[in-house]
Amino acid sequence: MQIQARKTSAHPIATAGFLTPGLGLLALFVVVPILLTAWISLHSGSMAMSYSQLQWVGLHNYTIIFQQSTFRTALINVFLYSAANIVIILPLAVLLGMFLQQTSIRAKNVLRTVLFLPYMIPTVAVAIVWGYLYEPQYGPINQILGWVHIPAQDWLGSINEAMISLVILNVWQTLGYYVVIVVAGLTEIPQEYYEAASIDGASWFQQQLYITLPLLNRSLAFVFVILTINTLQIFDPVYVLTQGSPVNSTDVVAYQMYVTAFNYGQAGLASAMAMVLLAVILLLSLAQLRLFRSI
Amino acid sequence: MPSQSLARRFLFASISLLFILVLASCGSSSPSSGSANVSITYLTHWSGPQVTQLNQAIATYEKSHPNVTINVHTVPFGNLLTTITTQGNSANGPTIMGIYNLWLPQLVQAGLLAQAPATYTKDIQQAYPASVNSAVQVSGKTYGYPNEVDLYALNYNRALFQAAGIANPPTTWSELVTDAEKLTKRDSSGHITQQGFGIINSWNSGVVHPWLSLEESDGGQLLSSNHQPLLTSKAAMATTNLYYQLIFQNKTTDPAMNQANASTTGPYLDNFANGKTAMIIMANWWESDLQAAMGSKFADVGTAPIPVGPDGTQSHSVSYSWSTVVNTHATQAQQDAAWQFLQWLNGPQSGQNGSSAMGDILMGMGILPSRTTDLQAHKSQLNSPFISTYVAEMPQSIPFPIVLGGDELTTSLQKSIESVMFGQNSPQQAMTQAQSNVGQILSQYYS
Repeated sequence: MQIQARKTSAHPIATAGFLTPGLGLLALFVVVPILLTAWISLHSGSMAMSYSQLQWVGLHNYTIIFQQSTFRTALINVFLYSAANIVIILPLAVLLGMFLQQTSIRAKNVLRTVLFLPYMIPTVAVAIVWGYLYEPQYGPINQILGWVHIPAQDWLGSINEAMISLVILNVWQTLGYYVVIVVAGLTEIPQEYYEAASIDGASWFQQQLYITLPLLNRSLAFVFVILTINTLQIFDPVYVLTQGSPVNSTDVVAYQMYVTAFNYGQAGLASAMAMVLLAVILLLSLAQLRLFRSI
Repeated sequence: MPSQSLARRFLFASISLLFILVLASCGSSSPSSGSANVSITYLTHWSGPQVTQLNQAIATYEKSHPNVTINVHTVPFGNLLTTITTQGNSANGPTIMGIYNLWLPQLVQAGLLAQAPATYTKDIQQAYPASVNSAVQVSGKTYGYPNEVDLYALNYNRALFQAAGIANPPTTWSELVTDAEKLTKRDSSGHITQQGFGIINSWNSGVVHPWLSLEESDGGQLLSSNHQPLLTSKAAMATTNLYYQLIFQNKTTDPAMNQANASTTGPYLDNFANGKTAMIIMANWWESDLQAAMGSKFADVGTAPIPVGPDGTQSHSVSYSWSTVVNTHATQAQQDAAWQFLQWLNGPQSGQNGSSAMGDILMGMGILPSRTTDLQAHKSQLNSPFISTYVAEMPQSIPFPIVLGGDELTTSLQKSIESVMFGQNSPQQAMTQAQSNVGQILSQYYS
């Protein structure tokens, strides 16, 4: 470390030169917008106004959004959506990853590709297609259910099923991405550990429990954090398919931000919502990382 | 040392590049300055054949005005307001914008729209009916050329009516309820396979406008003259109770069959087009959507006035309108060119047989033009079986209130109505909630 520090201090201009583009872009496109959003959240005005026209309101926007039942519902909905995705995707990704890691499977590269393909399709296109699949009267999903004598479901047209329909869509689209991360983590585990465990008489289940899962810790932490961040920011399927309906059953924070800023012309309130979402994501991510570090 | 020299050169190059970019971005903010040629942009949510027609009109105009170039920029309806609010604050943004008039007060308050110069204000006031004129005014000032007018009527499937032995469409709520019952079909498990009456959900205007049309046909209104909501009125309660009766008591409406998506299409349209919905209240603009979806079966579609409620005296429909406005942040030359073009586009010399080019474009979509001379020029087309009901109902139509917070109050009311449709609230609870929420929204803007 000392040698590294000495090397850096010996070339201050070179260090600055190499770091400036990266840090500059990061500051310009990440830090400045966050600071600007925080500043706008303390003001009242529309997206079309210049900054000088915005009126200072202090923390009033934060008080207002927590008084709004729509925002509270959106916050609860997005937590439920995120939790449901984590509960489904995390174990599935581990199981599929382990399955694909088996050397006896011949077409595992094809399977990996097939699993990853949906992730490469734009979410808007996926949402439009799933809108047709979920159609209660003519949709293929209900027709398939009919073949096995399961009653047709209302899917996006039901207050109870709309959110779970969005969860299924997301699982289908993103599962492959998380499986690839798990597979990458599995390839890092030396085979010798399993061989030694086999010699010691450990069963397959014991090997997974005492070797695979502990050594997959870092990959799982990454999947957990990224999955939480991605799902808390859900917007596209809600915008394309449900617009937060039926009633407020699929209303989520990002969609509320969008309509508040662009349809209602209240940039301050929308920015306050954005800051709350940022704080939630930041706190959850830090808590998750700490949790995985302690395991 | 060579590495330090290289680093200095790299740093110098980076700073120079940044300087050039800043200069370039400053330079691009003054379009067409110092030149007699003017380039303007026309932002619209139209698509397909309508954009082709608009471009043809523009090409004709550009021939007689060689110093003016007009570019058409299209976005989906769902992105129109977003595009206006994000790009309208710049001279490089759209010069002419087609807007839903409900957004007008909000856009005027944000300082985005140019007031029409006196010459054009006079032209607008002379050429359009007073009710249409009022929709493009804020505090007595005119902000644009009105164009389309939309209103609502009962759309019904004649073939399904005939099969159910019903001769005529309902004219009252009680007939609506009875007919809906006769037109509903269920499978052995009681699941609705053909609904008597469709009630749209998941789209704010699609929920609120038909509900309000029924409410107004029962003698109600949305807001008082001093911007107070009237959602706990007898008519509002009766309308919401009617929905409750159709969905839960008579089970003639299935909310799952009536969902709309971001493109304002979806199951509600599919089910009507496929003969799975016998009646629905919809606006005239969906004629072209129905024609495309139904083909020759479009001939089965009949239209009738909104059924009258027990306390109503005559059928009323909500009407709403659109207009074309000019960006106040455009240069003076651009604004002048924009107003001149709009006067021509909406004038009787630009279209065919005395219609304006705008009138021809709107009629191509099955949308009612609002200019008096356009209505005259398209008289024969306006007599078609589908559209004639809408034309006949226009004098009794009631414009949707153009108020600040209009979009927010529409969405808030939508959620309250949907809470009844999906069994979350009773009609009484929903309307009490709507009264409170809409009141809060309006109190931000009106004391």
